[in-house]
Amino acid sequence: MTLSIRLSAIALACTAATAFAADPIKIGVDGPFTGGSSSMGVSMRDGVRLAADEINKAGGVLGRQIQLVERDDEAKNERGAQIAQELINKEKVVAVVGYINTGVGLASERFFQEAKIPVMNNVATGSVLTHQFDSQPENYVFRNSANDSIQAPMIVEEAITRRGFKKVAILADSTNYGQLGRADLEKALELKGIKPVAVEKFNIKDVDMTAQLLKAKEAGAEVVLTYGIGPELAQIANGMTKLGWKVPMIGSWTLSMANYIDNAGPGGEGARMPQTFIQEPTTPKRQSFIISYLKTFAPKNNRMDSPVSAAQGYDSVYLLAAAIKQAGTTDGPKVKDALENLKAPVEGVVTTYNKPFSKGDHEAITANIPVFGEVKGNRVVYAYADDFKKASEVRVKDVNAKGALPTAKK
Amino acid sequence: MEILTQLIFSGIALGMIYAVIAFGYQLTFATSDTLNFGQGDALMLGALVGLTLVGMGVNYWLMIPIVCVFGAIQGAVVERIGVRPAIRIKSEFGWIMSTIALGIIFKNVAENVWGHDDLKFPSPLPESPIRFLGANVLPMEILVVVGAVLMMAAVELFNRKTIWGKAVVATFNDREAARLMGINTGLVITFSYALSSMSAALAGVLIAPLTLTGATMGAVLGLKAFAVAIIGGLTSGMGIIVGGIILGIAEKLTGFYLSTGYQDVPGLVLLLIVLAVRPAGLFGKTAIKKV
Repeated sequence: MTLSIRLSAIALACTAATAFAADPIKIGVDGPFTGGSSSMGVSMRDGVRLAADEINKAGGVLGRQIQLVERDDEAKNERGAQIAQELINKEKVVAVVGYINTGVGLASERFFQEAKIPVMNNVATGSVLTHQFDSQPENYVFRNSANDSIQAPMIVEEAITRRGFKKVAILADSTNYGQLGRADLEKALELKGIKPVAVEKFNIKDVDMTAQLLKAKEAGAEVVLTYGIGPELAQIANGMTKLGWKVPMIGSWTLSMANYIDNAGPGGEGARMPQTFIQEPTTPKRQSFIISYLKTFAPKNNRMDSPVSAAQGYDSVYLLAAAIKQAGTTDGPKVKDALENLKAPVEGVVTTYNKPFSKGDHEAITANIPVFGEVKGNRVVYAYADDFKKASEVRVKDVNAKGALPTAKK
Repeated sequence: MEILTQLIFSGIALGMIYAVIAFGYQLTFATSDTLNFGQGDALMLGALVGLTLVGMGVNYWLMIPIVCVFGAIQGAVVERIGVRPAIRIKSEFGWIMSTIALGIIFKNVAENVWGHDDLKFPSPLPESPIRFLGANVLPMEILVVVGAVLMMAAVELFNRKTIWGKAVVATFNDREAARLMGINTGLVITFSYALSSMSAALAGVLIAPLTLTGATMGAVLGLKAFAVAIIGGLTSGMGIIVGGIILGIAEKLTGFYLSTGYQDVPGLVLLLIVLAVRPAGLFGKTAIKKV
């Protein structure tokens, strides 16, 4: 009697296990695949697809295939919140990768936090993103992009220390991204004892930047620091051409977006921005990534629309897969614990992730990793020859790296 | 002073962009008391069709008449599908919903055909600025202003001098009487929609080298143009131009002297004031007397 119960229990467990093994692992992919941010969103998605495909071809994770559930948030905060609930309640995803727009990330994360589902933020850079839940015992939000508290001081360092400009103007868009970035830029400038001579704002879809640029020009700015996305950044460059006022543009990594480079044309050359990845085959891993990306998605002129997004998207899936493998389960809290204590290093495109996260540190990228890129001949190249020469030495995470702003606890 | 001139020039250029689009609202309102809320999308379609033609190697100036024909057909389709049924059953609001719906459909179609990204429209004129009265102006901006004025003048002339134009004016004055006098008012209304979308498509290819070209380019511009149409008066061609220029300059001046964060506010405040004080628009009444 007991034996038969025990046997049937074992049989049940076996069938459950086999059904379990056949089930794919569902991972949500959220990003803007339409609109002004789409070059980042689509490149990120393509990077994610490439990684998932490679993992599946190699047998999947825990013997299960990865299934991507892709959703377009249109860069709208409220859309992101809806998608988060759909991914949790309807699709029952194990984890989610993505988020390009800081505002969308902020609006969506709390649903995953409540549902105990890990979020791997692979593009959005708002400093506050990984600190929304600092007050709670567990934080499910991770990031493998260079956040604004790293980027803003890098931009300031480049403008003030390396190139010796004294008078700076800040032009930022009116979204969460632009305004949080502007605040970080002002903080970083303050540390250098500099107050910007002009701080101007513009809206998404603005077609004329005359007023903003004239204010910067009148204030005697020698350099314009930007925080915005491609199309409007291009209008800034075009506006400078129109006013016949040409000063260097240094800004957040979005100056590498294809829709900035294409729409600004010759006026956009020379713009510099921090980059975690530049489309150059400097390591074998990067080379194979670039080759298979170009082969699979065939972007125009063999130029990735947003190389940084593609590389970070690719790496985010590998980080997650490593954590699921280590946890031996897709259970949210256990995957989170595994991410916080990854034992084996993960070789990615951006860097080799050796213990990228810990309990109190959910940022995989530190201030020593990004380099400066420059728009030259319609693509992004290394701004400094030294960085290019040393690019084959992969820069790994250094928690003691100097240069980042102290992140304000929320 | 130089700054002020620069701001005013930029304001005029921007204002004329608004005015050209607003002109399309006025055309259909004049014959049928209805508006095409898909005006911004007609502009977007014109710009994208133009971009495709230029990409195929058609010369910019040769492309313009083709885009105009395309715009006219698109406008006629909107009227036949969306507006005529509403007018026939004397529905007060049906046309509002149907023109908005058609606009959204056009936008989605454009997203699927041309993609989601903002594209660069190659400028037919040199992209380096010209010095004029101490301020910098782009040749393309001058083209927009000249093109807009020419187009409006042509339509105005057409309305006054030709038999077709007289039919349009008659339809505007009294639709029923015009019908009794043997004017095919239905055709006149279709024609006015065709003309309206044609002007929007033309506006699209004129402004595309200045703005960026993409499926969403019409949304904000269409809305601003609507404000211009209300400020200037839906019945006055002159009002549209003045309204556009007022809004354009107000935006630029506020942006520079007050704050760029508030540059959209004065135009909308002006809109509220005009609605409260002169609901027919700044030039609304005089135009009615003139006709």
